[in-house]
Amino acid sequence: MIKKILIVDDSPVARRMLKSSIPQNRGYEIYEAVDGYDGISKYQEIKPDMIFMDLTMPNLDGYNAIAEIKKTAPEAVIVVMTADIQQKSISRVIELGAFLVLKKPPRTKIVEDVLIKVEDSLKSRSGGKQ
Amino acid sequence: MKIECRPAFSDEEKEILQEIMNIAFGNATADLAELIDIYVELNAPSIQVLGIGDLPDYLIRRMKLHTETSIVAQNFWGDFKGSSILVLPNRSGRSLIAILDDDEMNDFSMKPVAGQEKEVLMEVGNILIGACVGKVCELLNTFVTYTPPQVILRNSDEYSAFIESFDPSQTAIIMETVFRFQKIDINGLLLLITNQEAIEWLQKALHHFMEPYE
Repeated sequence: MIKKILIVDDSPVARRMLKSSIPQNRGYEIYEAVDGYDGISKYQEIKPDMIFMDLTMPNLDGYNAIAEIKKTAPEAVIVVMTADIQQKSISRVIELGAFLVLKKPPRTKIVEDVLIKVEDSLKSRSGGKQ
Repeated sequence: MKIECRPAFSDEEKEILQEIMNIAFGNATADLAELIDIYVELNAPSIQVLGIGDLPDYLIRRMKLHTETSIVAQNFWGDFKGSSILVLPNRSGRSLIAILDDDEMNDFSMKPVAGQEKEVLMEVGNILIGACVGKVCELLNTFVTYTPPQVILRNSDEYSAFIESFDPSQTAIIMETVFRFQKIDINGLLLLITNQEAIEWLQKALHHFMEPYE
């Protein structure tokens, strides 16, 4: 079950848009990181159940952050939320182990559907145990 | 050079515009990649507010990215009104021709090189600018019409005329994205410049854009 969600995006507006697209009534704890380095550090500290990750960020981009997180936590569920919808970018992050790729700007219905998919995936991993 | 952040456009509005530009340019590169086999590495865009009188200095400083530069310029008008400028190094025209020839998308071989370069720069500029401005307009719920794209060489009378076409008493909002065509190792710059006439409309449109997320 999803309890903790980490949003990694350098844009405060993008983080705000995504946060408000996540249902408020399900008690999720939402954490934020401002670039890839911050994302890796917060991942290790918070151990979120899922991450929304931007790709184009200063200091450390999303590709490198995904690779780094997956190195130590292959089970990490990372949903890429990006404006870069070139097919090669999408293929690259899927190869790196991203769970799904979503196109910016976020839409509430799409974000809700993704959360359901992630919940299903987490349940099947744990053999249906909550 | 004097760059000032005028209070007419708040930090929050700049951040919203930056995210919109990010989304728009991401869409534009995907459109380009569908047409030609090219991958574009993106950087986070930036927003500057400055007097149009400072624009020539700003462009010169930014165009030092390249020793020689080609510019594709296209104006657009509607609620969202301004100019878009794609800046690429001169040699990029030839490199892009090679990619287009590989893709057998058109027959440049019968035309002189200078003409081919101009055509390919106009085509790439038209796609990137059109898709980027188009997406900004879609997100802000408006539409614009465009002048045809124009290729301008940095050291030419056309460049001077282009720069002089801006009213120096006005404020400009510059949306800038630096990118790299990976296959041909070329850096470029896309600027959208909108002026004072559009600022009031733009501020309202930005707040309207954020309403579903409040």
